[in-house]
Amino acid sequence: MTATLTEPKQRPAAPPKPRSTGWRRRLPLLPALFFVILVTQIPFLVTVFYSFQSWNLVRPGSQHFVGLQNYVDVFADSQFRGAMLNTVVLTVVCVFVSLLLGLGLALLLDRQFLGRGVVRTLLITPFLILPAAGALLWKTSMFHPNYGLVNFVFGGNTDWLSAFPLASVMTQVVWQWTPFMMLLILAGLQGQSKEVLEAAQVDGAGRWRTFASITLPQLSRYLQLAALLGAIYIVNSFDAIYLMTQGGPGTASTNLPYYIYQRAFEGFDIGQSSAMGVIVVVLTLIVATFTLRLMFRTFDVSSGVK
Amino acid sequence: MAMIGVATTRRKIQWSFLDLLVVVYALVPVLWIVSLSFKSKETLNDGNFIPREWSIQNYVDIFQTNEFVRALFNSIGIALISTFIAVVIGTMAAYAIARLDFPGKRVLIGVSLLVAMFPQVSLVSPLFEIERALGLFDTWPGLILPYVTFGLPLAIYTLSAFFKEIPWELEKAAKMDGATPAQAFRKVIAPLAAPGVFTTAILVFILTWNDFLFAISLTSTEASRTVPAALSFFTGASQFEDPKGTISAAAVVITIPIILFVLFFQRRIVAGLTSGAVKG
Repeated sequence: MTATLTEPKQRPAAPPKPRSTGWRRRLPLLPALFFVILVTQIPFLVTVFYSFQSWNLVRPGSQHFVGLQNYVDVFADSQFRGAMLNTVVLTVVCVFVSLLLGLGLALLLDRQFLGRGVVRTLLITPFLILPAAGALLWKTSMFHPNYGLVNFVFGGNTDWLSAFPLASVMTQVVWQWTPFMMLLILAGLQGQSKEVLEAAQVDGAGRWRTFASITLPQLSRYLQLAALLGAIYIVNSFDAIYLMTQGGPGTASTNLPYYIYQRAFEGFDIGQSSAMGVIVVVLTLIVATFTLRLMFRTFDVSSGVK
Repeated sequence: MAMIGVATTRRKIQWSFLDLLVVVYALVPVLWIVSLSFKSKETLNDGNFIPREWSIQNYVDIFQTNEFVRALFNSIGIALISTFIAVVIGTMAAYAIARLDFPGKRVLIGVSLLVAMFPQVSLVSPLFEIERALGLFDTWPGLILPYVTFGLPLAIYTLSAFFKEIPWELEKAAKMDGATPAQAFRKVIAPLAAPGVFTTAILVFILTWNDFLFAISLTSTEASRTVPAALSFFTGASQFEDPKGTISAAAVVITIPIILFVLFFQRRIVAGLTSGAVKG
């Protein structure tokens, strides 16, 4: 590897280069591209191919071309629409709540107090616990109707996971992601210049005024980044739902990733689950294009300011 | 925000109360897990916050079942190999992005971010089919492949931010002083790049260590099942009366390495995640 790394050592500023050097310059990128194409694009093409087939693993030899039938079925499927709605609710609520809580915690931690380092470290722990283990433990030791800590503290014997499945899952996800948001926002808070804050104070700006017109605008980049990264992962939430509610009761807490998984690995309906996969990819592409544009704009703005 | 305002005693008390509340919120479930893991089977459901009789039986149990030990071995092996490959390939790509100018660079960064956002679940069933056809299903490479792919965007993203900060002129200076290119790289550039590479490795490691979706759908036996997937089988397994204690013990065991990593490198990790955003 070292050989590849040191190779293009001279860096001529002259723009017109022979084609061969142009390609040599791109050489270090090839392995990454190769991997990404191999593992994401080939299977994706296979998915697209499957999505035009009627193919259920339970009925061997039933595979045949059906055109757009799978897509028609998927859009007519009320469970699919329900799962889509659940995904949107789960993502929006979790990102928003954990961002808000994270902002609050970051503001707390931005002050000087005894044992701040310890408190910060303790606060991060939920994010470090293996998500699968976190989900299982919320299920067995927090929400359990007889032995759960929630009922132990608040009394009653509500079976939280069947009474409020989606809300319970969201509680766990928020608990898991708040520290992440907090860390990013805290980095932003500590990056702001003390002089500006002092200047604001000298000019007679109140605590709230300072926060709203100086801190918050400066934080917006970090808030956006935290929301974006959080959303990418939360939209794909799978472990929490699989381990806590199995999407149930019924389909009350089924989100898209879990529904697709169910169709493929429990319903063995490769055709339909592939069609859903394609739809999800297309939706993601649309959302991602917007977010990427937003991100690049943020980059440009920040480098312009600095 | 006491650094601006004047902290009166009353305000101090208010803040301390808030702090306490916050710590309780984050920590109660965690402490509860630790407490459960040390409870004996009889007192598991007594609802006591502090175990009445301390017992390490749960820990002994999980290390005696092959199910867990083997999964732990798989998890460590697969995560380490995936991290290594992703960081090596990612370093090359990030180096090119940070140092060389070529058309289409921005598109490439865009593509790598796009891959990070690519819904993993839509790849699971085709990967399952392909890996079964190739004989990769339920093997280590079968999991390493998707892990490297989804680790790469993260690696490229953080590494290219770190590499931008490196003063590359030093390399030239070293060569002028008579160092060979290899020496210049080894003695000057490598030490400067190491912290960034290391941070990236930790992030990628955590990503693969935590994965559940691929682990549950691309494995079927102990040959390659990792801890997250193995944990989900603890619930149904009849060999434990109540899996709560053993799950807790397993959770504690597998969380410790991550907590240690992050405790040592906390500042760096945040720097790695934010520098990309701020300096693009």
